Order: sequence, then structure tokens, then C-alpha cells
Amino acid sequence: MWAIARTELKKVVQDKGLWFWTFILPVIFIVAFVAIFSGDENTSYKEVVTQIIPGYTIMFAFFIMISMVIAFVKDRDSGMVARTASTPLPIHHYFFGKWIPYMIIVLVQVAVLFGFGVAVYQLPLGDPFSLVLLSLALAFIATGWGMAMAVLVKTENMGIALTQVLALGGAMLGGLWMPVELMPEMVQNISKALPQYWALQGFKDVILSGAGVTDVWLNLLILMVAGAAGGVLALVSYPRFLRQSRN
Amino acid sequence: MIDVKGISKQYGDIQALDNISFHIDEGACFGLVGPNGAGKSTLMKILSGILLNFHGDMEVNDWSVSKERLKIKQRIGYVPQEICLEETLTARDNLTLFGHLYELKRKALQTRIDEVLAQIGLQDRAKDKVSTFSGGMKRRLNIGCALLHKPSIVIMDEPTVGIDPQSRNSIFSIIQELQKDGSTIIYSSHYMEEVEHLCDSIGLIDNGKLAEFGRMEDLLEKHASPSLFIAGEGIDQDFLQSFGKVERKGTGYLLNSEDSLQTLEKVAVHCREQDIHPYRLELYQPRLEDIFFHLTGTQLRDM
Repeated sequence: MWAIARTELKKVVQDKGLWFWTFILPVIFIVAFVAIFSGDENTSYKEVVTQIIPGYTIMFAFFIMISMVIAFVKDRDSGMVARTASTPLPIHHYFFGKWIPYMIIVLVQVAVLFGFGVAVYQLPLGDPFSLVLLSLALAFIATGWGMAMAVLVKTENMGIALTQVLALGGAMLGGLWMPVELMPEMVQNISKALPQYWALQGFKDVILSGAGVTDVWLNLLILMVAGAAGGVLALVSYPRFLRQSRN
Repeated sequence: MIDVKGISKQYGDIQALDNISFHIDEGACFGLVGPNGAGKSTLMKILSGILLNFHGDMEVNDWSVSKERLKIKQRIGYVPQEICLEETLTARDNLTLFGHLYELKRKALQTRIDEVLAQIGLQDRAKDKVSTFSGGMKRRLNIGCALLHKPSIVIMDEPTVGIDPQSRNSIFSIIQELQKDGSTIIYSSHYMEEVEHLCDSIGLIDNGKLAEFGRMEDLLEKHASPSLFIAGEGIDQDFLQSFGKVERKGTGYLLNSEDSLQTLEKVAVHCREQDIHPYRLELYQPRLEDIFFHLTGTQLRDM
């Protein structure tokens, strides 16, 4: 499992596109939107940064799905999936070996973007333990759904399109772009069905209200269950994915 | 060594394999041939442990694939038709990855990687990225990845597709070395001359069925007898027809008669008497390709 994970990590670190999507573009968005909204007289500077930095961090965390789709489709079409299946490596080792590096990347992404927020915008962090757990849960759901998407889609383009829908649609409806309280009641109800909402509310509770693990347990549970659902769906769909592999 | 017992595989309404059974001796080089869509790849996938759902069984050293899949996989080295390498990593990185997948560790793995790099002639390019390699080098590395754990069975699915004659020759040498070391080889290819050159036994699959199986010499004897090839100006076709069936082949004629050697003598005498000087007059030994076309026909299969 660790051999697969190490190799995958080496590959993705070399991928310049991933660096752009994961670190550069989110920083550009954060800088731009903090600049735009910090001029609003009705909103405090603290409210702006605690909305925008976690919000865009969550939105861009879901973009990891694009890299996952590309990596899996490439492996499937090059025959690497079938080749790996011919070795004694158990399927679940292959599976988690591919999954773990992307979780690490999302965790690094969260650390970098929050670190940027602290350094540049004096973003308060709150309880570090709760923050780490929420970051883990966010990495778990973004990559869990990424695993499902990567195994289920037929083409890279299909995966990229669906990721855009999930990441941007989820960001818009989940309150990542603007507080859900400002949205119509119907949209607020839809928000509660989206993991992005629960992730943001968790981060905001920890950062703004000083909440601890006991206060955000429901957020953590929802994110973990949704992530696990993605992982299970991917695992169940793996035999079909293997059949589609070349060789 | 390898016993394939009544393997069948169905994809929807398509019967990809239909009750295939054969035995491969230890140390043999077994050639698997067949037209496109015949079921070769499906059988290779089953033999290499990739395809799990099928009817029938395969035994390796009396271990059943349905019960001892992992044990069997540890003894098999699979060389796929596709080049399955991480292009952005070095040759050594790729070998390290596959070494780990075959449960090799630390110093033993590094030693084995050095041995394999020497075996495939890539020791000087170990630190280079695969993306900088030629097609032949990638093919050799593809093979190297399957040899790290010293498998007793090596399954090769068209390992020489799209490479130059030098690389092909180098791959033949690797295969012959493996045979010398006692490995059992299952070799699938569309290049009949390769199979004929390397393999001592053959399985021919067509329409999901094992159309023919046996030792190379036995199959050649069973399906085709030597004939006579003659080419040159002034060849009397009517005279040739008095010995047997004549067909046009390239620049000359192929004559099938009961006793080709005797016919050769008679044709030679006839040519001398008539002052005909053929530039080719020889016994034509049937090849695997002749048997292949004889059993599968010449109609295109990818329509």
C-alpha cells in the first residue's frame, strides 16, 4: 500500500497543474475577494476573513477530485490498473495507496491557506484540535468523493465537468461564497444537505465562537459519513473499473 | 505445472471462452495465438490473475487459482501488451514500485533491481525518466518489472509490438535466458515467426475455442506437408499440374504433391531437358502462419 502511496505522491508533486489548482488559484481568490468585501461597511473585517478564507479553502479542496479523476483514468487507460491487479497486492491496498496521497495534499492545502490567512489577514484559528479534525474530515470527504468519481466516470472530461458541478454548485449553495443567512429560505434548506455547508459551519464555529470538538461533532460525523459513502461506492465499483482497464 | 481446466467466460451474450483446457509442462515455452477477438486476451487475463469471474479452474503446481490466488500470483510475472510504466518516474523508481508490489524489500530489492537492469540492458539509464526512453527501452523495462521476483511462470502478451529489430532481438535473448533458467513461459503474439522461433508448444484459439493444441513439430506435420516452390521464366504450369495441386505464390508457383522430394527431382530433370533455368527451385517447409490461416481462414476479423 505504501509503495503505491509513495509513487502516487511523487507523481502528483511533479504535476504543475495540481500546484496551480491547489495553492496558487485559491490564494488569488482569497486576496481578490477579501479586497472586494473588506470595503463593506456592514460587515466586520473578522467576519469577512472568517467567511472567505475557510469558504474558498473548502471550495478548492473539492478540486482535488480533478487530479484524482485524471490519475485514475490514466491508470485505467494505460493498463496500470490491470497490471497492478496481476501482482499479489490486495485490492484494498491499491485502493488506499491511491487515496492517502490525495488526503495528504488536501491537508497541506488547508494548512497553507489557513497559514496564509493567519500571516496576511490575522485569521484567528480557535481550538487547534478541532481545526485539525475538521481539516481531516474535509480531506476525507473531498477525496472520498474523488475516489468514487474517479472510478465511476468514463472519461477525464466527464470527471472534470462533474467536479465543477459539485465544487462550484456546492460552494454556491453551501454558503461558501456568501453566508447562508443571506440566502432565500429554500436555498438554506438545500444547503443543509451539502457537506460544504457543514464543513464551513464547523470551521466558523471553531474560529469565531471558540467551539471545541464536542460542539462540532455533528459536522464531523456528517463529513465522515459522506466521505465513507464515497469510499464504499468507489470500492464497490472497483471490479467494473478493473474490467474497463486495458490489457 | 499449469493445468487449465474447462475455462469458460461470457460477456453478456458473447461467449469469449468456451471450455478451454490444456496442460503446460514446467520449463516449456507455450505460444498462444489466434485472430483478433478470438479470446486470447481474456485467457491471458485469467491466467495472470486479473480476471476473477469465470467458470472452470486453473491449477499451478496443484494450487487452484480459485483458492490460492495470491500464492499463484507470487509465482507469475505478467508482461502486459500495454507499456505499464510511470513515465514521469525513473527506471529505478518503476522497478522499486513493482518490487514492493511483489513484496521485495530493502537490500534484497536493490540487489535484484541491479540484476534486472543488467538483464534488460538498462543499467546506464537507471536514473533517467521513462519519458525519455525509446519504445524498445520501455518494452524492456516493462519486462524487467515482471522479472524482479524471479517468477517461475512468465506470461507475455505481445511484448514486441512496435519496436525495432535490435530491441526485438534483445527481448528474444531475455526470453531464451529465462528458459535456460527453467522458467515456464506463456507467450502471446500476432507475429507467427516469433512464436515459431521461441515456442515449443502452441495453443490456437479461435471463436473462444481451443482450435488446436500441441507440440510445434506435431502441428506442422498434422496440418501441412512440405511442398515445392519454383520460380523462373518458362515454367510449364501444365507440367507442374501433373504432379499435384499448383497455386500461384508471389513470383512463382507452389506445388503440393504426395512426395515433394521425388517431385523436386523430376522437375529438376524436366527443367534441364527443356533448358529452363528457374532461379528458385526448393522445398517449401510449412510455417506456423500456414497452419494459422489453414485453421482460421484469411477473412478479416476486426469488421
